[in-house]
Amino acid sequence: MTVIRVPVPAKNSFNPDRPVSGLLKAQILHLQDAEKRLPLDLRSNLYINAIKTEGEAADYIRQVTEAIHEAHIDPVRRRAKHRRKARPSIQIAAAADERSVRQTKKKVARKQPAQKKA
Amino acid sequence: MPPGLDNLKHIVVLMMENRSFDHMLGALKAQNPRIDGITDQSTNPDTTGAQIKAQPLAEFQGQLDPDPDHHFPAVDLQIFNGDTTAGRAPTMQGFIKSYFNQQRNVTHSQKIMYYFTPDKLPVLSTLATEFAVFNRWFASIPGPTICNRAFAHYGTSFGRVDMNLLYVNEPFKSIYNRLISANPKHTAKLYYYDQTSSTMEITNLLQNQPELFGTFQQFLDDCDKGDLPDYSFVEPNYSDHDSDVGEELASDQHPDHNIQAGEQFVASVYNAIKQNADLWKSTALLVVYDEHGGIYDHVPPPPCPPDGFTASPNDTGTGMEFKFDRLGVRVPAILISPWIPKGTVVDGRIFEHASIPATITKFFLGDYSPRSPREASAEIFLEPAAQPNAANNLLSLASMRTDCPDFA
Repeated sequence: MTVIRVPVPAKNSFNPDRPVSGLLKAQILHLQDAEKRLPLDLRSNLYINAIKTEGEAADYIRQVTEAIHEAHIDPVRRRAKHRRKARPSIQIAAAADERSVRQTKKKVARKQPAQKKA
Repeated sequence: MPPGLDNLKHIVVLMMENRSFDHMLGALKAQNPRIDGITDQSTNPDTTGAQIKAQPLAEFQGQLDPDPDHHFPAVDLQIFNGDTTAGRAPTMQGFIKSYFNQQRNVTHSQKIMYYFTPDKLPVLSTLATEFAVFNRWFASIPGPTICNRAFAHYGTSFGRVDMNLLYVNEPFKSIYNRLISANPKHTAKLYYYDQTSSTMEITNLLQNQPELFGTFQQFLDDCDKGDLPDYSFVEPNYSDHDSDVGEELASDQHPDHNIQAGEQFVASVYNAIKQNADLWKSTALLVVYDEHGGIYDHVPPPPCPPDGFTASPNDTGTGMEFKFDRLGVRVPAILISPWIPKGTVVDGRIFEHASIPATITKFFLGDYSPRSPREASAEIFLEPAAQPNAANNLLSLASMRTDCPDFA
């Protein structure tokens, strides 16, 4: 049995900054049209005219494709999933709290030398 | 029934992007004269009037930038060389002129004539010489991607010749809906590369039936477990993007994406099927390109039965209406199965993307209506043995081959 070696592309081939092609532009427009029919909470709210590169296009395409799948999950499961998804905002809130604590500590720390001087 | 057809349970179609037959496989004529490829007569005039020969100088990337125009008016120029008279004949003499229009650079415009030698494309060339290569597989429309891919899904583009939104008009159903709603039921799936690459079939299928879709990783898993549906349609990766596993290189071969990444992708689809022995003996894989991408081919597209739709002069952009009565430019197409004799060249019959739903429908469902006029008249590439044209069966070997290549 013959084994054919398949050459590997050059390492510098990867270029997510390549300007978006006509094909990807069409794909984005079709996804934008689909997005208009999605529930409001699943829309990306991205401005597609600002998409200039393949990497940016890929990000939008992923968000809307995932949202379309998400929209077809039955409502009970979707609500449950959304509750789970809600955690990051709590984490952000927690992180915000943490930062404010750190800032407070800093302020306190800044105050301490002054106190010492005093 | 011939044992190849008797064993056949799965059909897989892999549709790549935007390369012509001569560009990818034309050099194989030097190895096998039955393959209708590049000859000394393969020339086009440039804008100075000089005759420029097709040359084996194609590169993996960086050469066809900007992306050669392949919208309807540009393809009309490529095929008819600017002749708009009634009764005009396709000459395939306008490719350099068309590419010149994009940069006004004579030297650069000649690159549209460049083609690959087989050593540069070890995967596609090996598959073409080991299995069945089609001398006459044409894009369905002399135009761009979306409307051409529609013919593979529906057997029609519902009157569209462009990249705009395309809505299904009843009564013509997608091949997937025909299969999954049949009695007895069949299974069908579209596998896109990943959710970041997604699909080109958004408006009708992804939007309304996302359950029809899976990722390429699922395709690999389904092959491994023997869970492949009756019919699978595989899409390559359309963009360079980052993912959880690192950098993902576009594998669609659309200019100016890397050709070798596409070679790797075609090999991975082939290997996934071949590595499961049960699947290998029961699967036929068609590798085909959606359209020529504005790149030179020497075979004039033939007329075909009209599709019952008319694109207006405004829609075509040529000032002429189009009744879907002529095919697009020729593209590479290869049918792969261990039941196909090595070195098969399919000649004398004309195929197009409507041949895909026509074949899948005929094979799994038998007689079926309604279908578009184009699909109803399209050639099929897998003849059920009970049909009168069984002589056209490509899976004709009495016993399965054991000498099929592996890709590593």
